[in-house]
Amino acid sequence: MSDVEKAPNRFQRLYRGLTTIDFVGRRRIWFTLSIVIIVIGIGSLSIRGFNLGIDFKGGDSWEVLAPHTSISKMTTAVERAGLTLPTVEKLGSDTYEVTADLNNLSTTNQTIVTNNVVNAMAKVADVNPIQVSTSSVGPTWGSQITDRALEALIIFFIAVVGYISIRFEPKMALAAFIAMVHDLLVTIGVYSLFGLQITPDTVIAILTILGYSLYDTVVVFDRVRDNTGGILKSGDITYGEMVNLSMNQTLARSINTSLVAILPVFSVLVVGAYILGATTLQSYGLALFVGLLSGAYSSIFIASPLLAVMKEREPRFRDLAARVASRSDHRILSPSSAALLGAEGSVRGTGATTTRTPRTSTYVTPRARKQKRR
Amino acid sequence: MAPKVGSRRSLVVSLFLTIAIAFGALGTTLALGWGPKLGLDLAGGLSVVYKPATHASKADMQEVVTILNNRVNGLGVSGAEVNLQGKNVVVSVPGVKNARAVLAAVGQTAQLLFRPVLCETTAPSAKAKAVSTVPACASSYALTAANLNVNTSTGEPTNNIALDPAYTNIKSTLPANDKPSAMVILPGLGTSDRYVLGPAQLTGKSVKSAVAQQDQVGAWVVNYTLTGAGSPLWDKVAEENFHAELAIELDGVVQSAPLIQPSQASFTSFDGQGEISGSFTESSAKNLALAMEFGSLPVRLEALNTVTVSPTLGHSSLVAGLGAGLVGLALVLLYTILYYRALGLVIVLGLGVTAALLWAIISALGHTAFAPSFDLAGVTGLIVSIGITVDSYIVYFERLKDEARAGRSVRSSVDRGFKSAWRTVLAADTVSLLAAVLLYIIAVGDVRGFAFFLGLSTLMDVAITWYFTRPIVILLGRRSSDSTSAISMAAGLTPGVVHE
Repeated sequence: MSDVEKAPNRFQRLYRGLTTIDFVGRRRIWFTLSIVIIVIGIGSLSIRGFNLGIDFKGGDSWEVLAPHTSISKMTTAVERAGLTLPTVEKLGSDTYEVTADLNNLSTTNQTIVTNNVVNAMAKVADVNPIQVSTSSVGPTWGSQITDRALEALIIFFIAVVGYISIRFEPKMALAAFIAMVHDLLVTIGVYSLFGLQITPDTVIAILTILGYSLYDTVVVFDRVRDNTGGILKSGDITYGEMVNLSMNQTLARSINTSLVAILPVFSVLVVGAYILGATTLQSYGLALFVGLLSGAYSSIFIASPLLAVMKEREPRFRDLAARVASRSDHRILSPSSAALLGAEGSVRGTGATTTRTPRTSTYVTPRARKQKRR
Repeated sequence: MAPKVGSRRSLVVSLFLTIAIAFGALGTTLALGWGPKLGLDLAGGLSVVYKPATHASKADMQEVVTILNNRVNGLGVSGAEVNLQGKNVVVSVPGVKNARAVLAAVGQTAQLLFRPVLCETTAPSAKAKAVSTVPACASSYALTAANLNVNTSTGEPTNNIALDPAYTNIKSTLPANDKPSAMVILPGLGTSDRYVLGPAQLTGKSVKSAVAQQDQVGAWVVNYTLTGAGSPLWDKVAEENFHAELAIELDGVVQSAPLIQPSQASFTSFDGQGEISGSFTESSAKNLALAMEFGSLPVRLEALNTVTVSPTLGHSSLVAGLGAGLVGLALVLLYTILYYRALGLVIVLGLGVTAALLWAIISALGHTAFAPSFDLAGVTGLIVSIGITVDSYIVYFERLKDEARAGRSVRSSVDRGFKSAWRTVLAADTVSLLAAVLLYIIAVGDVRGFAFFLGLSTLMDVAITWYFTRPIVILLGRRSSDSTSAISMAAGLTPGVVHE
């Protein structure tokens, strides 16, 4: 019994699932933070609106790889070719993109101007005209994409809420749903706030984020369900405390998962879009990056505390909380007691001081996890 | 039912079979020289999304697909795809060098109509206005057989009928009003004069095929063959317009307005084929032949979205996508090895197996017409799925640490840990798959590729977790009986935490 060990540092605690962050208790802080971000985003949205790409407004764009030219040269060339007020941008290291709207011209004139611009850009870039990429979008294309995306979104929400309600329980479905709406609002807000361009790819990326955010939440809820299986019987810990414990136990996993999800997306953004200049990757990467951050945050700081709040209102868990509070030996969770709680799955009266109870004496039934299996 | 974890023998078989299948499949596709079917944003090419301008039935749209397919194939480009997505028709021609030349030919979205020429008129004046109903031609300007009085020995009209000035202040008929049943004023190809035309008497459906050829004196002509049903219709129309002009209208432009049998004294049946001669150049003859053969669409199409990607830009996107993917993968692997040490190597091997299997499947699918082509959106889908794949390992390893903290031996931890991790992985992957399937069904365009590859790698994740991760970790766990082994070190079983 010579295990007077050094107090583990933060990383070791995280690594062993021994952290004691009070996620549920400090929920007001997290909720306020999210509400502030969302309100700022919506405020910006109502004032500035979105920066919609040509796919939504309709319009035309041309792209060419041109290492030895400048924006001003390109602008002069395309204006001479017949564009009024074109937008000329440099993407990545040497790709130039020209944007203008030709939809008010007749079909014949659109073709003529498009060809003129292609030839002019090819000349500036000193390449064959077939090296110029073009994109022409009619005014109704964007609404089709948006309609489809909204349709997909609504069906997805219904399917997901249904699935979680059946597999887990309706309150978890509701909490997960709110977390998804949170991510949606945050991402939209960030896009409006920073004036980032919305393309159909952004819409796809947002749908993916919602899937991912949910994926993350499901993993945490899976643990919460495991852990809360027997708490009514034992009467040692409230639902909220158990959620908090579950969160701390899965914190290492949540952080790792978010990191391994964000690293590739970060690489898409930095390597793919900015260094190598693939614009499609940029619009995907940006939305995914913002959304994954928000998704990781909402699984931990929104979905789970929300679940705890909702469950604590149920009479049986309110009674449990009252019972737990009345017990004299109820203490606040410490790292070591948290470890034991997590390890045993069922809880004895472990106070802050009674560290490392010999496990032989604390063998209670393992987690009650099989009863709800389908 | 809790999943059975399995005997040692079945675990070993499962593990080696998975590795053998993955790398065997990869080797086979590489040996066959198969590669993924690259989308146009990676290979360069052309994509157009058309929507019907007016209401069109499902059968109409199917016919549009067939005709557009013929047109694209008639141009001799390979790998072209025309398919229906919802109510839209999507034409994609990846890998084509000169995308805009193809676009010009496919982009003729017109319907081909045969209309009698009533009279000719001048170009519209600056003050010209649109009218709802086109007035009739004055009888002195009408291009009737009687007025023209064709001389059968020269094949030319005796009388030169002047242009009817009454239409100078009337605009040409707008595309939206260019209905087959209406009288219209339309411009002619290569002339500033306009034609006043009667209601269509025949559509391009009656034309079976048309070719541009040179006749005996080397002049370009268009020879056409009519369909079985079209032949009597054509004869009827031709007889009605005998010695008068019949206009061939494509997309609101009169391509040609030939006189019917000007060298013959009386009408004779065409017997299902005919020849259009006149002042054709090689290209104008070929264009007319193409328009006559493939021009007849049951509904007018509007281009919603037209994209051409140059091969260079496509190639640089491919490099960017793959580069980003590899860097991302390397970062993830580095992180997992730093964090999980020996267990990190299991992730490396597992991702190797997954990648080999995925590449083999994507390459094999590239050889069928079934799968969407592998485009930039698909690359992104795969990159995103790296996170989901690695997460399954993380869920399992974190469970392993939990079990170890509960004081269980490594041996029983790997079994129990897998059981609970497996349920979590299944629940989470179901959600991810749900998203992918819904997106694939509902979405249009690029989104489908993204959803397809995301869904594919999610399914792969479930399979790999069961057939690879489970056996390898359990086997490793059973081998290590002491807490100093690699796996227990990695699982966070440092002495002191489990010691009593």
